[in-house]
Amino acid sequence: MKKFLLVAFLLIGYQEAFAAGGAPCGDYGECDSFKPELNNIESLQLGALTFINHCYGCHSLKYSRWGRIAKDLDIPENIFNDNLVFGANVKLGDRMTGSMKPAVSETWFGIAPPDLTLVTRLHGSDWVYTYLRTFYEDSLMPYGVNNMVYPGAAMPNVLASMQGQQILSCKDVPIIASNGGVRRDEMGNDITEEKCGYLKTIQGSGTLSVQEFDKVIYNLVNFMTYVGEPSRSDRERMGWYAILFFVVFTALAYLLFREYEKDYH
Amino acid sequence: MTQKSSGFFNWINSRLPIVNTYERHLSKHPVPKKVNFWYMFGALASVVLIIQIVSGIWLMFGYENTEEGAFASIEYIMRDIEYGWVIRYMHTTGASMFFAVVYLHMFRGLLYGSYHKPRELVWVFGMTIYLVMMAEGFLGYVLPYGQMSYWGAQVIISLFGAIPFIGESLEIWVRGDYYISGATISRFFALHVVALPLILIALVFMHLVALHEVGAGNPEGVDIEKHLDEDGVPLDSIPFFPYKVLNALVAIGIFGIVFSIIMFFFPEGGGYMLELANFEEANPLVTPEHIAPVWYYSPYYAMLRAVPDKLGGLVVMGAAIAILFVVPWLDRSKAASIRYKGILSKIAMTIFIISWLMLAWLGTVPVTALRTTLSIIGTIIYFAFFLLMPIYTSIEKTKPVPERL
Repeated sequence: MKKFLLVAFLLIGYQEAFAAGGAPCGDYGECDSFKPELNNIESLQLGALTFINHCYGCHSLKYSRWGRIAKDLDIPENIFNDNLVFGANVKLGDRMTGSMKPAVSETWFGIAPPDLTLVTRLHGSDWVYTYLRTFYEDSLMPYGVNNMVYPGAAMPNVLASMQGQQILSCKDVPIIASNGGVRRDEMGNDITEEKCGYLKTIQGSGTLSVQEFDKVIYNLVNFMTYVGEPSRSDRERMGWYAILFFVVFTALAYLLFREYEKDYH
Repeated sequence: MTQKSSGFFNWINSRLPIVNTYERHLSKHPVPKKVNFWYMFGALASVVLIIQIVSGIWLMFGYENTEEGAFASIEYIMRDIEYGWVIRYMHTTGASMFFAVVYLHMFRGLLYGSYHKPRELVWVFGMTIYLVMMAEGFLGYVLPYGQMSYWGAQVIISLFGAIPFIGESLEIWVRGDYYISGATISRFFALHVVALPLILIALVFMHLVALHEVGAGNPEGVDIEKHLDEDGVPLDSIPFFPYKVLNALVAIGIFGIVFSIIMFFFPEGGGYMLELANFEEANPLVTPEHIAPVWYYSPYYAMLRAVPDKLGGLVVMGAAIAILFVVPWLDRSKAASIRYKGILSKIAMTIFIISWLMLAWLGTVPVTALRTTLSIIGTIIYFAFFLLMPIYTSIEKTKPVPERL
């Protein structure tokens, strides 16, 4: 019976490992981890700047208002108005409904660029962070680029001038034996095989280094995480007070309960 | 209190039985003196009910029950209304916590035989509350009109279509349209905020009246009514106020900590409480990759999917809930509590819990051949636990139940 159960569990475990299907970040596999810093105002400001300059031309943030961002990101209204708000008729209380008409964008891209207010909540910040860094050159695609996380994405690599040319390349990787270790030959050298599908940036082709570019995307996704739920840092701050209140409440209630419990114990 | 009360109190009391009711149901209401933490979830359920009603009213201030406006109005509540996000997360966390405490409350009932004579009606009212809650939760989930609201509703409403002869017309009648639309949202809104809460409150009232008539149970399954003092009060009881209230306050405090941790730090509950696909507005042209219910329906959803035939699945799912209503008549054991039941009951209960949890997991993940097999096994165990109950509870040897608590 024990053996049977063991076999059954192994069988289920084996099947479950493969049932998961597609990895969360598509061809890329597991997404790169992203830890937001919602109290890092400078990062959020830089991210907002990148968003307005490079994304807002096509993508709206229609549930968010201009003024809320200025306020939350500590940007004085006049500076905000002069540097971030495009369009003479835009008021700070307006929603950020985008500057491209959907009909126009559909003829250009075949699909209207989605609103991005909630994209980090829908796919997760990890996903967005990985997606924006995994465009690679692919001459078969209409814009000459494809994406590892979202193959066939209709979006051009807007930040290519910063990132430079990124291509898919091959490299030698050690072969992993069935026991989990690296397989070696008689001489003790690792046996390797050539595997393809690795991203490689051509050095000097962009204005930023890989680290600098990652930082730009980090700030951008940090800002998008903030826009997805502007109250999040408030929420996490208030949460501690709520917990503290209930801890004190429980302690007092327990002491009172103990006192009265003596009556019937 | 009656003797000392002022003229005003006497005047009121001779016209409205406030003092009598207060004494009968609160200050002097006898409850068993020894219970454990399992007996706290009823009180917690009523706390969550109040949270849901109050936060629900506040949400209505900002919610718009139209096809065009529903999704945006949720974001309006989350962003533009001061502390709107507190109200909204309170309601969404509350929904999950409501089911959590009710499931634990129901499990307590199974564990200690809270449905045993004379508490059958208490159980039946409780099950009716659970049934209404399921409908209430489903209706509420459709209102934000995200992708999962839409497609979840599509799946559930299409179940009505599986009913022979009247199915198709019934489906249209429920939706109020040929497809899910503004008509569906506005009727679901009315049902969610007025009709079902009224029924729910009435049922909770009946549940409590029935409970106070027969008295609360205890983990030993001892009948405390057998030994009374000279005033007719059970010897093993304590008055509800202040003892039971203090007991409940401690539970509420701990519950508040848990609730706050989830609400303030994990409001999405890892995608099980607020499904991530619901952060995208409903789109009838794009089906989500994987349609899954929120966690509290998942065991029954797994059963629905275990049966290849739609009508068959519906019947199985319906029967799985219907069978809970008759548990008081399926359990033939002399002992109410699992503590004094025989080994067969204990084994059956253990297997049942494992298979229920397995079904709950299966209902949240995409189908594979193996998972379908597991769902079928889980479904069979679920029904076997109840259908075989009259047999294993009557043939097993029970331990003698003590006289006193």
